[in-house]
Amino acid sequence: MSDEYENKSGYQAQSSEALTGSAGSTPDMDYVRPAELPEQDLYHGHTFLTKWVFCQDAKVIGVQYFLTAVFTGIVGLILSWLMRLQLGFPGLAGFITAEHYYQFVTMHGMIMVVYFLTALFLGGFGNYLIPLMVGARDMVFPYVNMLSFWMFFVAVAILMASFFVPGGPTGAGWTLYPPQTILEGTPGSGMGILLMLVSLALFVIGFTMGGLNYMITVLQARTRGMTLMRMPLTVWGIFTATVLAMLAFPALLVSAIMMTLDKVIGTSFFMPTILKAGEVLEYGGGSPILFQHLFWFFGHPEVYIVALPAFGIVSDLISVHARKNIFGYRMMVWAIVGIGALSFFVWAHHMYVSGMNPWFGFFFATTTLIIAVPTAMKVYNWILTLWRGNIRINTVMLWCLGFIVTFVNGGITGIFLGNVSVDVPLSDTYFVVAHFHMVMGIAPVMVIMGAVYHWFPLITGRLLNETLGKWHFWATFLGAYSIYFPMHYLGFIGVPRRYYEMYDSPYMTSAVGMNEFISLAAFLVGAAQFILIFNIIKTLKTGKPAPKNPWKANSLEWHTSTQPPEHGNFGERLPVVHRWPYDFSVPGAKDDFIPQTTPPSEVVHTKVEKT
Amino acid sequence: MSNFIKKLFGTLTEKPWESDRAKIDDAHIGKTFDLSVQTSAVIIIFGIATVLFSLIFTGYIYSIPPEQDTRYLLKPNFLWINTFVLFVIAYFFSKITSDLKQKETMRIKRNIILVGGLSYLFLFGQLYFWVQLMQSGNYVSTNSYFSSFYIFTALHGMHLLGGLFFWGRVAGRILKMEQNKILDEENNISALSMYWMFLLVVWLAFFLMIYIFNDSFIAWCKTLIS
Repeated sequence: MSDEYENKSGYQAQSSEALTGSAGSTPDMDYVRPAELPEQDLYHGHTFLTKWVFCQDAKVIGVQYFLTAVFTGIVGLILSWLMRLQLGFPGLAGFITAEHYYQFVTMHGMIMVVYFLTALFLGGFGNYLIPLMVGARDMVFPYVNMLSFWMFFVAVAILMASFFVPGGPTGAGWTLYPPQTILEGTPGSGMGILLMLVSLALFVIGFTMGGLNYMITVLQARTRGMTLMRMPLTVWGIFTATVLAMLAFPALLVSAIMMTLDKVIGTSFFMPTILKAGEVLEYGGGSPILFQHLFWFFGHPEVYIVALPAFGIVSDLISVHARKNIFGYRMMVWAIVGIGALSFFVWAHHMYVSGMNPWFGFFFATTTLIIAVPTAMKVYNWILTLWRGNIRINTVMLWCLGFIVTFVNGGITGIFLGNVSVDVPLSDTYFVVAHFHMVMGIAPVMVIMGAVYHWFPLITGRLLNETLGKWHFWATFLGAYSIYFPMHYLGFIGVPRRYYEMYDSPYMTSAVGMNEFISLAAFLVGAAQFILIFNIIKTLKTGKPAPKNPWKANSLEWHTSTQPPEHGNFGERLPVVHRWPYDFSVPGAKDDFIPQTTPPSEVVHTKVEKT
Repeated sequence: MSNFIKKLFGTLTEKPWESDRAKIDDAHIGKTFDLSVQTSAVIIIFGIATVLFSLIFTGYIYSIPPEQDTRYLLKPNFLWINTFVLFVIAYFFSKITSDLKQKETMRIKRNIILVGGLSYLFLFGQLYFWVQLMQSGNYVSTNSYFSSFYIFTALHGMHLLGGLFFWGRVAGRILKMEQNKILDEENNISALSMYWMFLLVVWLAFFLMIYIFNDSFIAWCKTLIS
């Protein structure tokens, strides 16, 4: 590590007045280290193409990522409607055959996990917020960052193209388990699976380019005074998730490459000796279980790649909208880092039914239960941040509260499933579907919604309509619980997942009405998302202009030279940081917030409470 | 390393809200490590590539079938010459970095060209070895030993090609430069040098793997146990 604190001889102390333009400071108190790192040389686009399409500004790239991810999310949403249409009202839509159903399931799963949630949190929020929050002008490699988005765009285009090839997209389930994935008889086992694998490989390569930028910008390109422990938790969450992704995605890349070779040139990485219609295929010697290990070595950290940015963002939103410093900041950072590290030691809890050695199951059950500890710490800290806070029940706060409740629900059922003896009977039922949709579907989406309402004024300069926002929240929240609470019950009575139709089975006849109700709720929740789209369009056309820093937040993104921030973010001079971003309701302070750029001399009579 | 861990945990125990801590934090430059962004990028790429190649190794060890025919690879062959080429590249890179340290720029242009040329030679050597393998009837789908061999060498080759892309950009700039300006490119050259050293380390790990984890060696180990 560098000698970043050392006050080398020859530096002249400068007052923050000279650096930030604020008045009334005293040089001794407001010492900041003079700028030693050279200013970043930015490429400013002048044509429409270089300014908005092949743009190198991280903020524009963030919006591009966001919009592309939302597009894939809408496709995933429509697929879920079609699935629920078939499950709730079998035969009503004649075009949904069993093959189509499995294709919808597969594409819905892969799109939502990888192309929607991962891209949106890391590509969207990561690009927009990291440079702004750490006080940088842009990412460290803007050109590579631009390539990252376009690689993602091509990956999405290839994935969507698989809907239109002969045989359609793959219907092997989102886990793509071999050997059935690439064998005839599985929907989309021709071009569909190939396009999926190529798309995933491109996604990983593109993400690696972006991830390189996020990590180095956070580690090496922060502004003066911005220590790691002064960074907002949003940045900690995105940063740790990026580290996880950089270590986990190679497993997906390796498995995609190996499976492509198995499919195209007849290698047998994952293919055992197989008989088909009495005929021995040319495969032999490979291991399907090896694929499961590789897939889940990526797949489980993937849960936290989505969850950690959500944890970070929700911590900041709760702190700002409860006007209280985050409870246990250090513990929150440790929990993020700890969860990130532990997430690489739990992958095989997805494989309890694969016939593993019981001791292996015992080990992974133990690690799974251990990871619940730092996760629970975070939940306690969110609640304790709210405790006696000056809570503003606005749309952002509603989404945050909705997240906490949903995450606790999904987390607790995760503890059930982490135990081998409980998981084995429940593994192939709707209980698992309900669990993972609550914990990594609805919960992160609630954070995304909260974040959209929170940062929309920064990005567009206008405030979203609060009434519409509250309608949006309640329809989504109540609707999502109408879907997933009953689904747990379906799992308990033994309704199997992955079935195209429930037929006239004893466990299903008692729950036909419930299944129909779930489908109706799913249609409602999906439709409710269009309230947000309407709200955005209405706000962009006629919405109230947002005042500067409308939520009275402390972090640097709200203290740019213009709102929305221009390319380069901070005008002529980069900001200088004097404090953490959680100084809310500090006794003795003039306002109930103290921005990170406020020098000590301006708040001499304040005393920050211990946390 | 222990210093790094101590500083890392020291960082995580800071209390940023305390006024005494704030005085120290205000003097922070905003950089975590005393490294250029290029070197930081190369180190992160090392991390990703290490995971990637480790997973291939693991996959290979996981799926060695008992009847593996590894005799062809174990015979003296072109792989040894290619390994030697990689060592020569590493030698020239070490010359370049020591020249940079001593601000001796005379031989840098020549040596930069040399490492690029030798790297391409390595790649052609690999292709030639593939042709030899295929002529002897050992294709990528022959068995998992050869499947792993081909996929590993292909990824290693692509890793090298990626490095050559950046080498091309840096070399292009250096060749046009006046002698006294070459030192401005020190960060880029050091990053390239690290990148090639890593390629050598991965190659050596792979080399040991194919010569150690094969049926002949495993059979020999079994005789020791029995």
